[in-house]
Amino acid sequence: MRRRLVTVLLAVITAILVIPAGAVADDQGGETLNGQIRKPETVEGIDITVYQGSEEIGTATTGPDGEWEVEVPGPGAYRVVLDQESVPDEYVVSERPGPEHDEVQVREGQQRTVIFNLARPGEEEGGSSASPSEPAQEAAEEEPAQGEGTPEGVTTAPGVSSATPFGTKVVQLTVAGISFGLVIAISAIGLSLIFGTTRMINFAHGDMVTFGAMMALLFSTGATFNDVPLVVAALIAVVLGALLGIGLERFLWRPLRRRNVALIQMFIVSIGVALILRHLLLVGFGGNRERYDEYQLQEMIRLGPVGVTPRELTIICLSVLVLVAVAAMLQFTRIGKAMRAVADNRDLAESSGIDVDRVTLYVWGLGGGLSALGGVFYGLSQSVYWQMGFHLLLLMFAAVILGGLGTAYGAMVGGLVIGLVAQLSTLWFPSELMNAWALAIMIVVLLVRPQGILGRRERVG
Amino acid sequence: MSGNPEQERPSGVEAAVEAQHVREEVLERAGTAPAGDPRDHLVFADELVAGYVPEVNILNGCTLTLDEGEVVGIIGPNGAGKSTLIKTIFGLIPVRSGGLSLRGESIANLAAHELVSRGVGYVPQTQNVFPTLTVEENLQMGAYLRPKSFAARFDAVAELFPLLAQRRRQKAGALSGGERQMVAMGRALMMEPSVLLLDEPTAGLSPIYQEEVFQRVKQINATGVSVIMVEQNARRCLQICDRGYVLDQGRNAYTGTGRELLEDPNVVELYLGTLAKSA
Repeated sequence: MRRRLVTVLLAVITAILVIPAGAVADDQGGETLNGQIRKPETVEGIDITVYQGSEEIGTATTGPDGEWEVEVPGPGAYRVVLDQESVPDEYVVSERPGPEHDEVQVREGQQRTVIFNLARPGEEEGGSSASPSEPAQEAAEEEPAQGEGTPEGVTTAPGVSSATPFGTKVVQLTVAGISFGLVIAISAIGLSLIFGTTRMINFAHGDMVTFGAMMALLFSTGATFNDVPLVVAALIAVVLGALLGIGLERFLWRPLRRRNVALIQMFIVSIGVALILRHLLLVGFGGNRERYDEYQLQEMIRLGPVGVTPRELTIICLSVLVLVAVAAMLQFTRIGKAMRAVADNRDLAESSGIDVDRVTLYVWGLGGGLSALGGVFYGLSQSVYWQMGFHLLLLMFAAVILGGLGTAYGAMVGGLVIGLVAQLSTLWFPSELMNAWALAIMIVVLLVRPQGILGRRERVG
Repeated sequence: MSGNPEQERPSGVEAAVEAQHVREEVLERAGTAPAGDPRDHLVFADELVAGYVPEVNILNGCTLTLDEGEVVGIIGPNGAGKSTLIKTIFGLIPVRSGGLSLRGESIANLAAHELVSRGVGYVPQTQNVFPTLTVEENLQMGAYLRPKSFAARFDAVAELFPLLAQRRRQKAGALSGGERQMVAMGRALMMEPSVLLLDEPTAGLSPIYQEEVFQRVKQINATGVSVIMVEQNARRCLQICDRGYVLDQGRNAYTGTGRELLEDPNVVELYLGTLAKSA
């Protein structure tokens, strides 16, 4: 009965919260046009000029790494021209996409990437680029991680534009949905296990996701630390995330439980923790969207009809590996079984000789680490900003409720469903509504199966 | 409610009032239970006071002893504190005053998992299995503190409850109430306890399963496990118990061997009810 109440309560809160999350756009300004000359290799000293109509907005020269950037005054259409005079003699400007981009649309807050390719004279025809019939796709393929300038909480799929044929779109969005769903699943396991073992709804879980993403950012790009590789930074972030979870349990939740604080009070406390954590991160890292330095500009790998960046592919593979590892841990190890047992029946677990407090501590460590990892993956495929986890939290709630409260496997299944529905809904509906569709599916599933997909009906009597 | 209500009701009320007086007199008398030496008993609960809500005591000075190899039954009306007593012994409810010892060592206010490691097993009345875990995993949780002994203990427990071996891979939540009770008792036996605490093991079971549970309790006892069981089926419980305690309002009302209590007219009149009289 209480489980059902919690389900309904969470569903209502989630539904309420998704509206502002979808509607509020970030007023950041700071629109730029940028790119990197790197085909066939990075070239320095090439001039690129940006025009709006006939007015020259600015000029940039590529640096030693081939990168250039021009700030533009605001959203709008721009013309970007590569000065062929400045190209060194050993190169010519590739015919595709040519030396000039006409109508480059810049959305609010967007840092739009524009692609220019060089080639060695005579090699151009047999170049490494894709088939000539797909110029629009070619340009889209090299677009870096999306997310900039899109409304908050909306997750964009790579390789999809209005010109893409429907069939390709379906496949492409399915891949994006799986990737997004896996990230939700990884982040939501902890949320579900924490609910299972303590019956507490951890509202701060989204901000634990942000924490992980920002810690990885701090260690991989921060000036204070000597630019460790992102892989190492991600591992550090996971460890720190686990420590954050353990710290919260040990010094906040356990004392509160010992004092018999009721669940609804704990729920409000967790909202407080969420706000504190979120705003500490805002103060520490600022309100801008940031990106990891590595794995940004990537060429798509073509696997039959699917185009996927190595980054996305790695995220999918690693996520699946992590989920399988977590499932194996829960299924076969002593501590994993104990976690499931405590989630099933805390009192009985205590009566069986399980040190329930210790198991709960491990659950928080596991949940914290996984949410940090989810944060790094989410930050990699989108961008890192202070509210990213908060926006993901709604989808995590939806995933956890949809899959069945309190079970880790439910969070996994629910995450995938939510991710897929959110992405595939953009086939027919505006992308601003993607989260709304995900939650609508949650509501429909709950109407049919109130205990969630993998949830268990409470047996009466 | 058979017969003529006009005639029976006033006499029923009178009888109830009189019974209440007798019960209170009995409690007055029983208030001073003889204190024993904790070291003489396996479990010794002395003048226990405990309760859930602050300043409201459910147990008002309960005394209970359990000796090696005994089956002790606790019976009494609803709200007498039977389940509270067994939960207090197992450390689920804090002891407010009084003594509680196992083999002479105080176990008052020890955490439940520490009691398990000292050889006390407990089967709650409801929600006594892990529903999403398989039968085997349920038993593994029973042996959580001694994972290495699992295989040997599983065989021993499966000998008592062959059903557990047959249903090994099934989710416990899919079992019937009676089957769950077997899983629950099996789980509590995995640590090879010297004391088994059973909280109304037959509640909600069909008569056939109730009888099976009583038989199993005797079998478990025959393997050397001492048992304290709380029962609503008071008469059947007293038949298989070595000794019984009748609790009322959180205090001992009557104490004696099962047979003595079954034959005591006051106990029959006040606590065993019409079913016992007619039987």
